[in-house]
Amino acid sequence: MDSNPDNPVQDQDPASESDEPSPADPNQNRTDTTEPDDPPPADSDINPTQTSESVEHNTVEPESSVPERLKSLTLQEPSSEDIRQKHVSNGSLPADFYASDEIEIVEEEEEEGGLASSSGGGGVVTWTNRSDGPPSPSSSGYAAEGGSSVASSGGVEEETEGNSDWGREKKHFHEDDGSDSWRKRKKHFFILSNSGKPIYSRYGDEHKLAGFSATLQAIISFVQNSGDSIKFVRAGKHLIIFLVKGPIYLVCISCTDEPIEALRGQLELLYGQMLLILTKSVNRCFEKNPKFDMAPLLGGTDAVFSSLIHSFSWNPATFLHAYTCLPLSYPTRQAASAILQDVAESGILFAILMCKHKVVSLVGAQKASLHPDDIFLLANFILSSESFRTSESFSPICLPRYNPMAFLYAYVHFLDLDTYLVLLTTSSDSFYHLKDCRVRVQNVLAKSNVLSEIQRSMLESGLRIEDLPSEPTRPPVERINTESISTQRTVGGSAGLCHFMYKSVYLNQFVSSDFSAPLKNPNQQKRLYRAYQKMYASMHDKGTGTHKTQFRRNQDYVLFCWITQDFELYATFDPLADKAQAIKVCNRVCQWVRDLENEIFLYAESTFSW
Amino acid sequence: MGCSASLPAKSVGGVGSLDGESSNPADSNNLRVKLVLLGDSGVGKSCIVLRFVRGQFDPTSKVTVGASFLSQTLALQDSSTIKFEIWDTAGQERYAALAPLYYRGAGAAIVVYDITSPESFIKAQYWVKELQKHGNPDIVMALVGNKADLNENRSVQSQDARDYADKNGMFFIETSAKTADNINQLFEEVAKRLPRPAPLP
Repeated sequence: MDSNPDNPVQDQDPASESDEPSPADPNQNRTDTTEPDDPPPADSDINPTQTSESVEHNTVEPESSVPERLKSLTLQEPSSEDIRQKHVSNGSLPADFYASDEIEIVEEEEEEGGLASSSGGGGVVTWTNRSDGPPSPSSSGYAAEGGSSVASSGGVEEETEGNSDWGREKKHFHEDDGSDSWRKRKKHFFILSNSGKPIYSRYGDEHKLAGFSATLQAIISFVQNSGDSIKFVRAGKHLIIFLVKGPIYLVCISCTDEPIEALRGQLELLYGQMLLILTKSVNRCFEKNPKFDMAPLLGGTDAVFSSLIHSFSWNPATFLHAYTCLPLSYPTRQAASAILQDVAESGILFAILMCKHKVVSLVGAQKASLHPDDIFLLANFILSSESFRTSESFSPICLPRYNPMAFLYAYVHFLDLDTYLVLLTTSSDSFYHLKDCRVRVQNVLAKSNVLSEIQRSMLESGLRIEDLPSEPTRPPVERINTESISTQRTVGGSAGLCHFMYKSVYLNQFVSSDFSAPLKNPNQQKRLYRAYQKMYASMHDKGTGTHKTQFRRNQDYVLFCWITQDFELYATFDPLADKAQAIKVCNRVCQWVRDLENEIFLYAESTFSW
Repeated sequence: MGCSASLPAKSVGGVGSLDGESSNPADSNNLRVKLVLLGDSGVGKSCIVLRFVRGQFDPTSKVTVGASFLSQTLALQDSSTIKFEIWDTAGQERYAALAPLYYRGAGAAIVVYDITSPESFIKAQYWVKELQKHGNPDIVMALVGNKADLNENRSVQSQDARDYADKNGMFFIETSAKTADNINQLFEEVAKRLPRPAPLP
């Protein structure tokens, strides 16, 4: 079952339970709303008319000012009584639900983020597991307990992972669910087994979180026992998302104001990353022994997971489900593809040449195709495992979208600091063959200057919005009609264009512009990606069907999204941008991308067929 | 001349994988040998290899994924050379089942533990048994206690390790990849013990 409007466990507010067509969650879209929070209707008209305003900064970033948060809490969130009322009034739960020995819902004042306890109203639904009596300090769940007087250090969340992740160490290893710092983290990820054993936690030592894991497991199995499955719980500003994959449970607890669908997608990727390391055959261990402790199997992979989670806030591949190519001249990419093609014919399943997260070229054996998510997870695995840079290596790796049950063998070699070749094969004894192939590839790439071209492209910027041609060189194939207004603005690019992302639906590839002046700060960039992600979720809302255009203005910027059969365009303008003008610029962006497609995209003709 | 360890002879030998042509050297003066490092995670296998191959030591060492391949040629005093093709395997539990992929056909194995970690010594014994069961019967095995620079934290006594090594036909040495202590000696000793093809008449 998908979302269950009947089940109050999922949400404190039945009204927001049904599929929300709005990208801006009614609960979160709080201040300065000059228009009602109606979901933008499916705008089938090609001329966008819908403008919905939302201000997101107050919940997205930890440094938001306290008054705003207070305002938002008191404005929008139901009081504790309301929550209880709603739960009680919903008839689908057993009568003894709240009085049960096992699980109890406790409402407490929210103390997070430096709010004074008298700020009131912040209803946090806390699950307490009493019967188990876990010895963890508070024996309670997430965000319980008041009395935090620890000065908020602001950036407790979302740190960039360093290079120091080594073996058994991990960031904030000392924390557990009794630590203030742990409870203040804005985004937690957990993997646990269906017997409640912790497998992975983004923060803190998994073993110390056994009680907390058991609590999560209890919530999931409580709902499962009634023949249902839990999708999410909203608790004040926290959203708790559950994903059940056979014997493995994944949970995200977030107060980052990201849409449910986006967080669920992140859990899917987390699961995919786990499969890449272990394959789905790990399920068999649970069949043999339900109490199987899986955590040791993931030993030494903390850096992989923290890098993955970090990329949720900077890499659009995580929600676009597309990959991006390193811009290269057509002949250069052709040269790279040709040599990959050449070696791939000798029993290699996939040959991939990448530079950081960008694809230079990839070639697959007949009929084998590589899912963009697999490319992303593979690149993340390689880039976050420092040992690949030390020497050539040969390792078992599973591509979850290709075949989640089986290992492939990956030969990985860094040709220079950022450029690496991955040769994937099904044969476990072909190391020396792959090594020979790599030597051939490397020689050809060096001789044909492809490697130096790659380095040049890395150093040069990609698509700069300042370079957007002023007039379309030829009439666009498809264009949004708009009355022409010709007052040029100069902030950022034309008409205040700050940034764009263009995804080719057919190629499963995207290209995004460099960040220009107004978006130089990484926090702004992260905020923008979150806004794009929200836009993506609302545009692809399953409940209302895919939208075609959306124009959204807030005090930071204007976002415009346009989806056709062939492409998806996401563009950001400065907040004062004129709509008609912006649309005109978007037409030019599309034309520009088409003009450059040979350099920024990898074409299937040269990859998947031979 | 080689004094290879005496081992139970029921092993499968060097069938299949990752073998290269390593076991059939062209002439007795220029040997090529496949060498595998095994041991618990974090004992310093990669550090030993990097110290030997590149003379480097990186204190912020990286977790190995699968296995890394490196090679290094060692010139011996008798003017012969030995090219080690080294498989530096990952110590993580999830790779244990895949270890045969790397040690099959190996002419030499270095089993490493950390002198400050009794668990790693137990794990080392597991690998010795595994090699005795499934490895190349002529394999030269070394038992290496690494992190000898942390002597004040020692929890595995040299004598215990030496006794164990003797019982199992291995040679024993304590090394420090950090200080480079005994690293070259380790590989030279392995080289000396490798069986040589009979010299041409």
